[in-house]
Amino acid sequence: MTDADLIARVLAREDQNAFAELVRRYQSPVRAFLARMTRGDTHLADDLAQETFVKAWRKLHTYRGGARFSTWLFGIAVNEFRTVARQRKELALEEVGEVAPEENRPAADSRSQLRLDLTEALKRLHSGERAAVVLCCQNGLTHEEAAQVLDCPLGTVKTNVLRGKEKLKRWLFGYQDYEPA
Amino acid sequence: MNQPEKADPVETMLREQNQYVNDEGFTARVMAGLPRRRSRAWVRPAVLLGAAAIGSVLAARWLAWGNLPPLDLSALVSLDFQALTPTPDLTSALMPWMTMLAVAASIVWAAVAAVQWDD
Repeated sequence: MTDADLIARVLAREDQNAFAELVRRYQSPVRAFLARMTRGDTHLADDLAQETFVKAWRKLHTYRGGARFSTWLFGIAVNEFRTVARQRKELALEEVGEVAPEENRPAADSRSQLRLDLTEALKRLHSGERAAVVLCCQNGLTHEEAAQVLDCPLGTVKTNVLRGKEKLKRWLFGYQDYEPA
Repeated sequence: MNQPEKADPVETMLREQNQYVNDEGFTARVMAGLPRRRSRAWVRPAVLLGAAAIGSVLAARWLAWGNLPPLDLSALVSLDFQALTPTPDLTSALMPWMTMLAVAASIVWAAVAAVQWDD
């Protein structure tokens, strides 16, 4: 059953099973995105993700179907994150800072080490860059979709993706010859 | 001939490290916390507009619209309140007009609120 079918069922008869299927489909990308945005605070990320889906349930009648459902959901998730970030200083902290490549040079032979290093490197990014990189490079959104989600100009998204990737490249210097598994 | 473009290692890394997050009861928690959805979003603005319409009809029925005191608009513009109406009591002269203005404002407010309604 497509997302559109499920959404139609929810709207027509408040079908909770249909909505549960939508939650099951999108819980992983939404929770993973929010975990990145909260710099690894998975409890907070899950709280925000739960609130995201509750809001989606309440406002589903406003979803027009012009964008992908996931794009619409990410938009709600970003708003939830921004609301909390305004109240929590540690989330509002911007870029943590540059790290000298020597300090951060990893043992490039280990994939689990790569995961750790990538997670740490993402945490160091400016939140705008992190959001743009995670949405576009990890979740496959187009720049236009990311601009819609982040409610910012297309040029800002492109710049943030470019800058974010440049920083990651610098910080993950040891993986420059990385080959896919 | 162009060489095939090498994949950006950072993008490859990001895609590969994007792991699936197991549900582990998340969906059940969301479903348990769902409020009743306002699926009929048009009901509340419709009630608001209906109430404004009924109020207007009642106001039209019970207020003495036919007996509105004449207003001398040139006096209004020149702020000569004494010459505004032939009635010596300014309050009783302006009250029907003020009431009519309030009813009109209520209808406009209700219409705007109904159009912009978003729960």
